[in-house]
Amino acid sequence: MRKKWLGLGLSFMLAAGIAGCGGNDNNGTSDATNGKSDGGTATPASEKSQPVQLKYWTDDRHDQEYIKELINKFNETNGDNIQVELTVMSENYTQSVDIAFSSNQAPDVLRLKSANTSEFVKKGYLAPIDGYLTDDMKKKFGSLLIDNVNRFDGKVYSLANTGLTMRLVYNKDLFAKAGIEKPPVSLQEMVDDAKKITEVGKSEGIYGFALNFKNPKQAFDRSIREILSLSGYQGLGFDMKTGQFDFAPYSQVIKYFKQMHKDGSILPGAETLDIDPLRAQFAAGKIGMYLSFSTEPGVYKDQFPTEINWAGALAPTLDGQIKGTSEIVSAGTWLGISAKSAHQEAAWKFMQYMYGDDVLKTYHEKGFGIAIVPSIVEQAKNPDTNGMEGFLVGDHDSLWPAAPSVTPEGSNYADAFFKYMISDGDLKTITADLNARYNAALSKAVEKGEFTVTPNPAFDPSKPQGE
Amino acid sequence: MSFKWKRLGENSLFLFPSIILTAVLGIYPLFWMLRYMFYDYAGYGEALFVGLDNFRRLMRDGLFWESVGNTFMFAGGKLLLTLPLSLLLAVILNGKLRGGSLLRGIYFMPTVISTAVISVVFYTIFNSYNGMVNTLLVKLHLISQPVDWLGPKHAMLTVILVAVWGAVGNYMLLFLAGLQSIPQDLYESASIDGANAGRRFLHITLPMLAPVAQMVMMLAIIASLKGYESIMVITEGGPIGKTEVMYLYLYKLLFPVSTGSPVAQQLGYGSAVGFASAAIVGAITGLYFFLSRKMNKVY
Repeated sequence: MRKKWLGLGLSFMLAAGIAGCGGNDNNGTSDATNGKSDGGTATPASEKSQPVQLKYWTDDRHDQEYIKELINKFNETNGDNIQVELTVMSENYTQSVDIAFSSNQAPDVLRLKSANTSEFVKKGYLAPIDGYLTDDMKKKFGSLLIDNVNRFDGKVYSLANTGLTMRLVYNKDLFAKAGIEKPPVSLQEMVDDAKKITEVGKSEGIYGFALNFKNPKQAFDRSIREILSLSGYQGLGFDMKTGQFDFAPYSQVIKYFKQMHKDGSILPGAETLDIDPLRAQFAAGKIGMYLSFSTEPGVYKDQFPTEINWAGALAPTLDGQIKGTSEIVSAGTWLGISAKSAHQEAAWKFMQYMYGDDVLKTYHEKGFGIAIVPSIVEQAKNPDTNGMEGFLVGDHDSLWPAAPSVTPEGSNYADAFFKYMISDGDLKTITADLNARYNAALSKAVEKGEFTVTPNPAFDPSKPQGE
Repeated sequence: MSFKWKRLGENSLFLFPSIILTAVLGIYPLFWMLRYMFYDYAGYGEALFVGLDNFRRLMRDGLFWESVGNTFMFAGGKLLLTLPLSLLLAVILNGKLRGGSLLRGIYFMPTVISTAVISVVFYTIFNSYNGMVNTLLVKLHLISQPVDWLGPKHAMLTVILVAVWGAVGNYMLLFLAGLQSIPQDLYESASIDGANAGRRFLHITLPMLAPVAQMVMMLAIIASLKGYESIMVITEGGPIGKTEVMYLYLYKLLFPVSTGSPVAQQLGYGSAVGFASAAIVGAITGLYFFLSRKMNKVY
């Protein structure tokens, strides 16, 4: 019996020992890299003071090789003995950040996106950077400081780098085959073109239109959002002039989508289509057109290399007239500093390096994102990626003020409209119900102090930033 | 130290890791959930006490009750196909069949493969634009136009078939273990008395298998009511909510899918939905135990 207890005790100690050896403070789930890893040698503490270790977390994977290069260069050249360790997350970035902050293992610098910045600010994860901003930086980024995007309650938390434009992505060969000369400028033209392409291609499994309807919100937020903003309406159903939700313009667009479904012009099975299978079908020449972000040229260069002749064009509008501007999304934020970081000044020095002209210029030229910082747009050459020319920021693109994000009871607008699109229902009733539920949720959020809403009766959709 | 105390010490030591894990990962969060179901809480900021508001919202939440209906349809379809099929396979493999071990391994394989992987494969098999099922059926001239297996009309049937494929091997193995514990002399004496294979199955196999079958069915019912993983990958609950089951609805409230625009967690309301869902599964399991109470009595 004594031997048995001895054995158990030793096993326990061994297990504890192994657990202890394996533990470190690196929470990265994948692809952690340290700038000093290649060729760097440790410097004895007695010879040189301990370096300031910074952790930088991102969920961007498309640019990781370039970012690694930049970090290696920063680690080798900065005169403040700062060492940055990059961790590239695969999935569940927001949840990983939540866990890191609740267990006091937060990174010092974080990749911020428009979808997570306001939540991170509300949770108290981010430190304002106003105190660090030099006059030059204020001048460089000043026109891109936007409330509820990178500035909250008057404090700046991040700065812009790139943005995503949204376009109609179309197969030029299929358009030519169907006798269509140019991409549609109105929704009626889009419906007609989709029908023509389907008529000439259906026997070969070719259809005029598709979207990733498996998640209707993801599908509509990359299509109707753009159609509406270019038509002069906020793309997520919010009316800037009244400060209330009004889905009436949205309901006008959905009629045309319903018509395409009724005509049989939409790829069969699109109801459960994810974006990547959709891209695979487009690359195979089976889809006439869809709408998406400026990430598509990169996708067709690396992920789904294709022989088809394709391009991006401005989204069609409700009546063929451009009365607004095409909204640049995921813009206004890039890096931010953790409020819990013990090395905020060092983190800012790293941020300053990353926001340097050379870095931002090369980031655009390599095609990782479309530059929106005016001084960079002026200097940078166009990226050498097929199809990118159709997505570059032009006269009809601009940033829009942030619309409040609310969570209503019941289904969201995308699910409700998609249900109407592929089955039946009374559009007026659906629209009225959405308006009522979204405005109730808006009032509740305002009452709770989550945000304030200021109607802007003078709002001009052709100059959303008022300039 | 007496033998009894030593034994208790040993047992406690072995139980310790499980108890700790259950307490930390199961019971502790459960208490938080029981608290939050009375709060309006988005995962950050102040949790606002709202009394029974979340339950009032639950009562008028058409999407939740639709998901409950879908859950019953999914679970019912899955059980109706899985249980007879797994019992049939177990009975066949319990006989002296050449290559029985190999077949047992093959049938059990879906249980050990990742649900996500299986689901992605089935998506490519069933999708309507270039799926293998449609290609095969068209080539065999059984259909002229591709069938939209994942469309609103057929999506539920498709996800049930995928779930059955994934579950049959597991329950087959449990049934097989039950069959192998039935004494062979019962069959021998019945054969001497002139009972044919059908009578032996009805009067020996089924009654003797009853206690095992009761447990297997209980596990199958709970798993069917709680299952959502393959649905999440194949249809994400769509199209238009046709395959949205209870636990998938709950998952989306607690871990909303990011769409590029901000999406808020609903921890308070999600906790209330979680409680109601658990209560529904518990009530059905309890009812099943009551109705099947005679099954564990072997005469």
